[in-house]
Amino acid sequence: MTTVAQEAGAPTGAAPPSDPGAAIVTSGLTKRFRGGQTAVDALDLTVPRGSVYGFLGPNGSGKTTTIRMLLGLITPTGGTCSLLGLPLALALPRVGALVEGPAFYPYLTGEANLRRFDAADPTASGATVRRRVGEALERVGLTAAAGKRYRNYSLGMRQRLAIAAALLGPRELLILDEPTNGLDPQGTREVRALVKEIAAGGTTVFVSSHLLAEVEQMCTHAAIMRTGRLVADGTIASLSGGLATRVSVETPDAADAARVLAALGLADVRSAAGAVTAELGGHAPERVNAALVGEGVAVRGLAVVRPSLEDVFVGLTGEGFDVDG
Amino acid sequence: MSTADTGTRTRRTPGLVPVTETLSTVERRPEEPSDRPAPLAPQAGRRAGAFWRLLVSELSLTFHRPRNLAMLAALATVPVIMGVSLRLFAGDDQVGGMIAAVAGNSLMLTFLALSALVLLMMPIAVSVVAGDALAGEAGGGTLRYLLAAPAGRTRLLAVKYLNAVVYAYAVTAVVALSALVTGLVLFPAGDVVLLSGTTVTMTDGLLRIALTVGYVGFALSAVAAVALAISAFTEVPIGAIAGTVVLIIACQVLRAIPALEAIAPYLLPTRFTGFDAVLRSPIDTGALTEGLLTFGAYIVMSLSIAWAHFTGKDVTS
Amino acid sequence: MRRGTYVRWGVPIAAAAVIGAAIGAGPVIAAVSGDPVLPERSAQQLLADAAAAAEKSEGMPPMSGTVQQTASLGLPALPDTGDGSPLSLLSGSHEVKLWYGDEDKMRLALPTQFNETNVIVNGDQVWYWDSDSNTATRVKLQGEHPREGLPTAAPTVMTPDQAAQRLLEQVDESTTISVSNTAEVAGRPAYQLTLTPKDPASLVQEVRLAIDGEHYVPLRVQVFAKGSAEPAFQVGFTQLTFTPPAEENFAFTPPAGAKVEEKTFGPSDARQEHAEEARRTAGDLKVRGEGWTAVAVLPADAAMPQGDTDGAPGAPGAPGGEGADARALFDNVLKTATPVSGTWGSGKMIRTKLVTVLLTDDGRLLVGAVTPEEIMKAAGVR
Repeated sequence: MTTVAQEAGAPTGAAPPSDPGAAIVTSGLTKRFRGGQTAVDALDLTVPRGSVYGFLGPNGSGKTTTIRMLLGLITPTGGTCSLLGLPLALALPRVGALVEGPAFYPYLTGEANLRRFDAADPTASGATVRRRVGEALERVGLTAAAGKRYRNYSLGMRQRLAIAAALLGPRELLILDEPTNGLDPQGTREVRALVKEIAAGGTTVFVSSHLLAEVEQMCTHAAIMRTGRLVADGTIASLSGGLATRVSVETPDAADAARVLAALGLADVRSAAGAVTAELGGHAPERVNAALVGEGVAVRGLAVVRPSLEDVFVGLTGEGFDVDG
Repeated sequence: MSTADTGTRTRRTPGLVPVTETLSTVERRPEEPSDRPAPLAPQAGRRAGAFWRLLVSELSLTFHRPRNLAMLAALATVPVIMGVSLRLFAGDDQVGGMIAAVAGNSLMLTFLALSALVLLMMPIAVSVVAGDALAGEAGGGTLRYLLAAPAGRTRLLAVKYLNAVVYAYAVTAVVALSALVTGLVLFPAGDVVLLSGTTVTMTDGLLRIALTVGYVGFALSAVAAVALAISAFTEVPIGAIAGTVVLIIACQVLRAIPALEAIAPYLLPTRFTGFDAVLRSPIDTGALTEGLLTFGAYIVMSLSIAWAHFTGKDVTS
Repeated sequence: MRRGTYVRWGVPIAAAAVIGAAIGAGPVIAAVSGDPVLPERSAQQLLADAAAAAEKSEGMPPMSGTVQQTASLGLPALPDTGDGSPLSLLSGSHEVKLWYGDEDKMRLALPTQFNETNVIVNGDQVWYWDSDSNTATRVKLQGEHPREGLPTAAPTVMTPDQAAQRLLEQVDESTTISVSNTAEVAGRPAYQLTLTPKDPASLVQEVRLAIDGEHYVPLRVQVFAKGSAEPAFQVGFTQLTFTPPAEENFAFTPPAGAKVEEKTFGPSDARQEHAEEARRTAGDLKVRGEGWTAVAVLPADAAMPQGDTDGAPGAPGAPGGEGADARALFDNVLKTATPVSGTWGSGKMIRTKLVTVLLTDDGRLLVGAVTPEEIMKAAGVR
């Protein structure tokens, strides 16, 4: 069944789901390294099928260790994890992965590198490898550089080749560890577009990043890691929903403005010199504005401030986020 | 499994948007029932020729790598140099033994070349390939992608070892062929005088060369197993290669210490030149068997250690 | 998900156990499991049986096998004398291949790394082949029986037969003899005669002689020094079959291109000289004491090139050898000698596990398998 689907299916299209459950489930997943350092601490994670799941956290928060455990590269000290509800050896052919940056044979061409990794997959067919490699290269825009040796690739080309390697077969799940690392803004946009396209085809995408903006733009769900522990997870909406949207009024009559906002029923009114903010709640911003103007408050500016993941993170951890990596 | 997963998800993230509400899942949902048998099918997805495909990929990697080809070429030139210098300088009567035998018969150069190169040069060449096998992939980071492919750890180890064995036999064959051709060009062909003073036909002599190639190749396969085992423990290929070479040299030194004569038969290099048994009449099958058993023991020990470590190793490179 | 660490490491451990068992425990298992397959015999019965068997078959039955000789005399490090040198037999272990058809057909091969020395006896033809020098020597043994000629013609190792004969000559009241029927040599059940010297002055703890249970051929001789669990000297079969060897083993034709020489009496000039020299030396040789504690006394200058005595039972009786080698060995050994003195004078003493050598300052060389006290006592006797 799978075989037929793989031969017939488009290389980067979604494979038929092997299990209707979650794409990734971890339960109590723990990794302590020999030095006694706990890289991942009792991680419970459920990645729904079809989601684009952002795995967020500062560098060194245990994201890569988790991904290595998911792929069977590292044995967990405790807990379990499963991909696609299958034993690891059966799941991995349906999973494309980019782990901790690209790694290829420098003396081989891009195309030969992809063939090499395809040969390692016991379910991949040698008969279709040429077509699949060609399509994967085209997908990431490397067709022109297919015959070039990997050592002559630029950083961005290397990253794209690694993504191509993850797209060699029909995948149900893509695990991308920092996929935009080393890419220029143009490359970053391309990767985001590619991820969205792949996800639209039904493939679950699990993408780790230390860049909040990236996750906010790409993902439907996210989990936030900090020093090996899961801090929060859920849909992007529910995560940022935990913090209220606020209205910020710029005015010289701060006291009056605060009074008006309180009278309107807005909660958590805070006033400072020249500005007043409050939780917007269910109120329409234009009505708030009309009320302020009606009461004679000089409104110089009015803005609706939506909370970002960064606010969520700061709210949850009380610390700033390593935004720039 | 799926029920449990759903339960976990529901419990952990009560406020989440249900999976069914994401666009892509909604689109995909109707397909699911018809695909439910899929989890039972993947075993069929493992292709019959997959192991050979990976082995061929490995071999092509090994035999296209300039470094490995350069080693073969360098080894091939040594018998030529030996032959030419013997031809030029072996005229005086002082020489005896193998050197005199080479001057007397073209086939003997093969045995002489193998006996000289098998002590260090050929093991080094094999160590480079086998020592690099796992450590090189780990050092370059490609190991994680091979394992995620998934190559399978036991399968990858088997492919890496078979690849090293093929290279070991290639090394042996290249030296033997180069020596044979050089010998035929420079020295008289014909009946071969064995160490026992018995004369055999040239065909018999060629058969004995074939036996020798089999023996030396197996000896180098044992070296490859040791190198592969060391390779499994490190991410630095040069360390695995140097480790194996140092081990072989250390054995050669231990072998030369008279007080340690008791352990000499168990050292790998002691058996390297055991193929002189084919130059006796009758062929000393006892000595050959002892040598092959020693190599076999090293192969079994090294590979089982490599397997035990590699299948449980955390790949962090 | 993955096999446990302990299970995985069980595989190499099991492999090591199997290999270790195959290397080391083979003889142990045989000894434990083996009920004696041979009927019990007293020493006297055994010797009589052996003598009768020897008489009946006029020597040994046809056989081929491998003889291994091991010496660990506790000598100081020897200079590198090369594999083929007889002196190399004084330490380490050496192998000789033996093919024995009948009295007239015998081949001895000493295989060394990429070399081989052969002695081939076929009727009245005796060949000595040395691959290293590419020389085939035809030996003419005028008036002598080839079998008598052989022990000196093949100076490298004694066959078990020769060693056993030498030992049996020593058997008298000075020795306790016991017999066991559970020994096994080269996979063959064997009787083992144990000879223990009664004289406490002897350095020999015991001598064990294994005799094949079927053919009464000596299979192994071991000499144990006092206070040592490993034999100081051992010669015996490691592999043996009692089937007539193939004829081509005895058919030797000098190969084309080989030097062919012809010698009478000895296989080579050098050896002949040594034989003559040995004979001269023998004239000067005196023996003090008898049996296990016999001490040979000979003039030092005459003895030096050989370093051999007949008075030491079990010592590798290797007359001859390259003179330079012997000199080098002797000089080397002398460096480690301890100066001693007594009422008899003074000199230098060399002690090994099995043999004590005393070189007196007045130019006598005393050699015996005896304690230093005993040899100094012998030195006092003029």
